[in-house]
Amino acid sequence: MIKWLIMIILFFLCILIGYYFSQRYVNRLKFFKSLILLCQNLDIEINYSRERLKKLINNYDEKTKKNLLGIDQEFLKYLDNPKELKKEELFKNAGILKKEEQDLIFLFFKNLGRSDVENQTKELKNFIAKFEEIKIKAENENKKYGSLSLKLGLIIGLFILVILI
Amino acid sequence: MLENILPENISKIINNKINYKVINEIRIRADKPIVININGQAYFLSENGLSSNLNNAIKATKIMVEDIIFRASECSLYSVNEQIKQGFLVTKGGIRIGIGGSVIEDNKTIKTMNNFTSVNIRIPHHIKNCSLSAFNSIVNENKVQNTLIISPPGCGKTTFLRDFICQLSERNIALNILVLDERGELDIGSTIGNFSDKICFARKKVGFENGIRTLSPNIIVTDELNELEDIEAILYAVNCGVNLLASTHADSIETFLKKESFNKVIKEKIFKRYVVLSSRNGPGTYEGIYNENFSRLH
Repeated sequence: MIKWLIMIILFFLCILIGYYFSQRYVNRLKFFKSLILLCQNLDIEINYSRERLKKLINNYDEKTKKNLLGIDQEFLKYLDNPKELKKEELFKNAGILKKEEQDLIFLFFKNLGRSDVENQTKELKNFIAKFEEIKIKAENENKKYGSLSLKLGLIIGLFILVILI
Repeated sequence: MLENILPENISKIINNKINYKVINEIRIRADKPIVININGQAYFLSENGLSSNLNNAIKATKIMVEDIIFRASECSLYSVNEQIKQGFLVTKGGIRIGIGGSVIEDNKTIKTMNNFTSVNIRIPHHIKNCSLSAFNSIVNENKVQNTLIISPPGCGKTTFLRDFICQLSERNIALNILVLDERGELDIGSTIGNFSDKICFARKKVGFENGIRTLSPNIIVTDELNELEDIEAILYAVNCGVNLLASTHADSIETFLKKESFNKVIKEKIFKRYVVLSSRNGPGTYEGIYNENFSRLH
């Protein structure tokens, strides 16, 4: 009886690990999609309403903000007290991002609000193009490895079951 | 408010060692000592507060200047570009920051400024009753006569206008006042009285036309008349039957009379009173009150 219980637990544990890894790919994709949407929204608002960054980010769609891994909240904290934007604080909850991705996103937030409308718009468009490239990569990774992780978890779980039986 | 703009170390020294209320200006120039102006007197800022010794002075950096402008714009330079194009920006609370740097022009129009090298932070003050000495010469039977305040920069024109509006309000002289605040420094928070409407960051011509059409003011108060367009705006207001209280830069009545842009105004005796201020005994020193014929009243 205990043997069966352990087998079932191990099986589900393998599936859970597989699911966890597949979710990382899904969340990365969601993150870049939301980041691009945020940039596009900033582009429009900076050109038309010219509101301050704090208000623009605060008023931005809550659903989309949820996918930003807390980066928006950390940036808002910085806007409240703009001393020095720190990378480790900005990416506190964004471990799923690769180092080079973090560098690019950090550069984006560091330069945000530091130029006039024309240059800010150019910069935003430039960053959107770069984020789009990463989004396509994240999409391919998700297709490739996302479902693979889940399947691998299932197969390893079944394999353990077979061995133990 | 200053702590939101200045670097932490500078802000701490000012908060702890200097009486904020007496500061007129803080001048921060890249690679130069920070200078604080108090009552027309310049001091260096040192770790221990004010100092006359250059060796103790704290030197500013270019990054410091850029950071001050960035913070003053609430981290959104694009939102204040129209002000930056004119060489200043105004923060919440009416602190005006004059900006030195490179002007970027395109087809003879200023696009923006960058490569910031200096800032002049002017601290606004509300000095209660500072306009009282001239009040009775300007207001007659609850009617405000067209008045021009004349002084060099930093001698209290804006402070005078601010207090004058308050004096009208305190006396319940229920005249509708339109405050045309081109640079956002006249209203530093509940200082424009109970009978005032405000139009901010509009050129005088646009502000006067829109304001008269939509807000029906009895008096328009505005700062720093300079260009011919400003003069056209005040002539328009006077022709509409609106009274004026305005200011302009000149160091004396004689210098003012040489200003060509004001020829028509002087000839037509648009202004009935001229109040001349200086900083001889500190900003806001009365040098004289004159009538439309430039005869001295006080």
